[in-house]
Amino acid sequence: MRSASSALLVLLCACGTLSNEDIAFFEALPQKEQLHVQVPANDAAQPACLIGAADVWISAKATGDNINQGVDGILGLVDAIRAVPPTTRGTDQRTWGPFADQNHPGVDDQVTMFRELDAQGLPWRWIYTISARRKPAGFLPILEGEFFGAQARNGIGRITLHFENAHAVGIAKPTDPQSPARIFYDLSGDPRTVSLDLTAGLGLGLQSFDYGYAGYLDGHGRFDYAVPDPKSGCTFEVTTFFTAKGAGRDLYRARCPAFTVGDVQQCWDVSACLTYVDDPFAFTAQCNGVKPCKLGNPASCPL
Amino acid sequence: MSFPRALCVAALLAAVPARAGGAGASIERRFALVIGDKTGGAGTRPLRYAERDARRIFGILTRLGGVREEDARLLTAASATEVRSAFAELRVLLQEAKAQGDQTVLIVYYSGHARDGDLRLGDSRLPLTELRDALRDAPADVRIGLLDSCQSGAIMRSKGVRAAPAFEVQQAQAASTRPHGLVLIASSSADEESQESDDLSASFFTHYLASGLLGDADASGDGKVTLAEAYAYAYARTVGETADSRAGAQHPVYLYDLGGAGDVVLTELLPARGALVFPAADEGVYVVLDASRRAVAEVAKPRGGERRLALAAGNYLVKKRDGDSLLVGDFSVAEAQVEVADARLTRRPLSDDPQKGASGPRWSMLGAAGGQFFFDAAARNGLFPPATLAGVELGARDDLGHELAWGLDLNLGGGSSTLRLKGVTPIPVRFGEVGGGATLWRDFGLTDALTFSLGGRVAFLFLSRTFPGHAELPQQSFFTLTPGLQTALSWQFTQRLSMVLRGRLNYLFYNVDKPQNLGFFEAALGVDYAFGL
Repeated sequence: MRSASSALLVLLCACGTLSNEDIAFFEALPQKEQLHVQVPANDAAQPACLIGAADVWISAKATGDNINQGVDGILGLVDAIRAVPPTTRGTDQRTWGPFADQNHPGVDDQVTMFRELDAQGLPWRWIYTISARRKPAGFLPILEGEFFGAQARNGIGRITLHFENAHAVGIAKPTDPQSPARIFYDLSGDPRTVSLDLTAGLGLGLQSFDYGYAGYLDGHGRFDYAVPDPKSGCTFEVTTFFTAKGAGRDLYRARCPAFTVGDVQQCWDVSACLTYVDDPFAFTAQCNGVKPCKLGNPASCPL
Repeated sequence: MSFPRALCVAALLAAVPARAGGAGASIERRFALVIGDKTGGAGTRPLRYAERDARRIFGILTRLGGVREEDARLLTAASATEVRSAFAELRVLLQEAKAQGDQTVLIVYYSGHARDGDLRLGDSRLPLTELRDALRDAPADVRIGLLDSCQSGAIMRSKGVRAAPAFEVQQAQAASTRPHGLVLIASSSADEESQESDDLSASFFTHYLASGLLGDADASGDGKVTLAEAYAYAYARTVGETADSRAGAQHPVYLYDLGGAGDVVLTELLPARGALVFPAADEGVYVVLDASRRAVAEVAKPRGGERRLALAAGNYLVKKRDGDSLLVGDFSVAEAQVEVADARLTRRPLSDDPQKGASGPRWSMLGAAGGQFFFDAAARNGLFPPATLAGVELGARDDLGHELAWGLDLNLGGGSSTLRLKGVTPIPVRFGEVGGGATLWRDFGLTDALTFSLGGRVAFLFLSRTFPGHAELPQQSFFTLTPGLQTALSWQFTQRLSMVLRGRLNYLFYNVDKPQNLGFFEAALGVDYAFGL
């Protein structure tokens, strides 16, 4: 009894968050900027263009920003894991909580994170779940993540955000989708790819689409996105290739309520001025409704 | 011989007119060499009060003993060579005084270690025979040696040594002959220890010698304390007060080889300006404390007859045990005499003894810088990397008894390193730590200047780390208690300053990732400053 008391006293005297293993767990979690879409920004003071402004490309930046905001919102939940030390630590497991959700009275949050090691002791897979419950109901997964590698900055992973559960628990925002959204990312090489799958429904200020981004170290890349065209009432589903300085070309298809047509090609320079247009359906404003429409020189297209 | 009887004998002897001054034209000039050394080299423990004793005697001799400042030498922590040099200086002055026809008196006082026939002056030695011969051959009419050290009676390995309560002073056979010759007084016999008292903040012998010289030994009441009176008083009080001590009774001895007539007056009380006067009606043992509550004198006073204590100007506290309580009073001595009557004292319970703890601990402050190193390689990886530390330690010696010292320390430190995890890009780490603890140790004197110490320490350790360039990683911290051992080697290079090389071996229990028993070492080099010497 006395020795047990002594041991307890020593245990009580050693406390804190100093942990290398915690750092290993944290390093497996993606950071916001690692999953950002980085579309080159064009010069705000756009000169007078010979053909006209590349409006579809200009909308890519705004769409990228919206995606980034959506990703930031999702990874904000992940950041919360780093904000507080784990409640319990196992050999390959960490648990945070349950603790009361400061922003949602009556809601408890809980985080679990598991690690799997290979034969050499290197981490090869991580699984983490953020769950929430409104008592007396049980926990529902709000965010599920899976990551392959030892460090998020050079690994492959996915994150599923269960908006449907967030709505069920009562912690979702009105603008949040009603269905799950998924992020896939591959940071293991060049290009860095990030995709946001919103095919299950609208939300986050974005069209329902499987957004995709591939960014190379030298700054050029590809961006697949969807943007509404108020004039035609269609949604343009765009595949864009761009240089580091912002020149580029795209190929888009218009998905309209009654039909789907394509393919429209556009090229532009670093000032976001159209240099070539091949638009059989005259969606491009500079075509002035004349079908088919070809403007500029295809030799001006980069990439 | 009992104490009262000794006093009576001394009083009778002192009734013979002392010849402090001459009836003729010659002037008496006095010289003093006062030596105090707390260290005695290898195999000895530092004395606590030897140097204070020397300063007390020096003050009394220069204030009341007729020794002019320029004719006095006070040596503390001096080597044998320095003592010989000072002795040689006084010899020159003595010869000059003799050449002028002055009567001369030389007083040599020593408080410190003595062993195996040598005075131990730090790491140096001064044979007792050399000191005795130097005194014997000194060109002074009267040579007086006062030795307060263990086995100091060994200086008198010759005929005529007496362990008696009082001198046999020659009566005035011829008025024209002044005292001349040699007197040696030792605080203990050749096989006895001379003891110090924490209550008195002094050695027993010197304390009573000083008390006597200040006036309590003036058995004749003539305002002069003679050598015989001082010895008789110091003998009786030393034997009486040490009788029940653990080391046993301590018996002062003397060698009296004084020719001529009469006794030598050591202090004259009446010319002194300020004094405490104990009235005839009161009786008892009064202890006089100075402002720091250290005893400066005692008065063992029988009823009848006034007793005068010639003290330097200052504030004093007088206490007297009276049954189960104390009588205590504050007095300020300046130009006039101040009467200490029992009626002016306030009664206090014994628990309010103002002298309690007066000797107090010896405080010191150590400033040191060094490093910290964990033995476990895995622990050094980011968790507890090698750190640079700097801190201070407040130490107290002579406070707990059993020669134990204690200290409280506070350290700050930190550094930078790299955290290496499998499959992860190395992560830079910057960390800081705060530590502090309490240490209990014991000092072991190796030589006069070198001291080895060993003890135990319980400390706390708070460590915090951040990851520069990794804003996503949170700050981490850790707190724990770490018991350990401490050792140090100190080299005293001035009276107050010592260079200290300190090592600590600590245990740390880490339990965040997994329970681990870790050990780490701390080494530091610093300078220790001793207060209140």
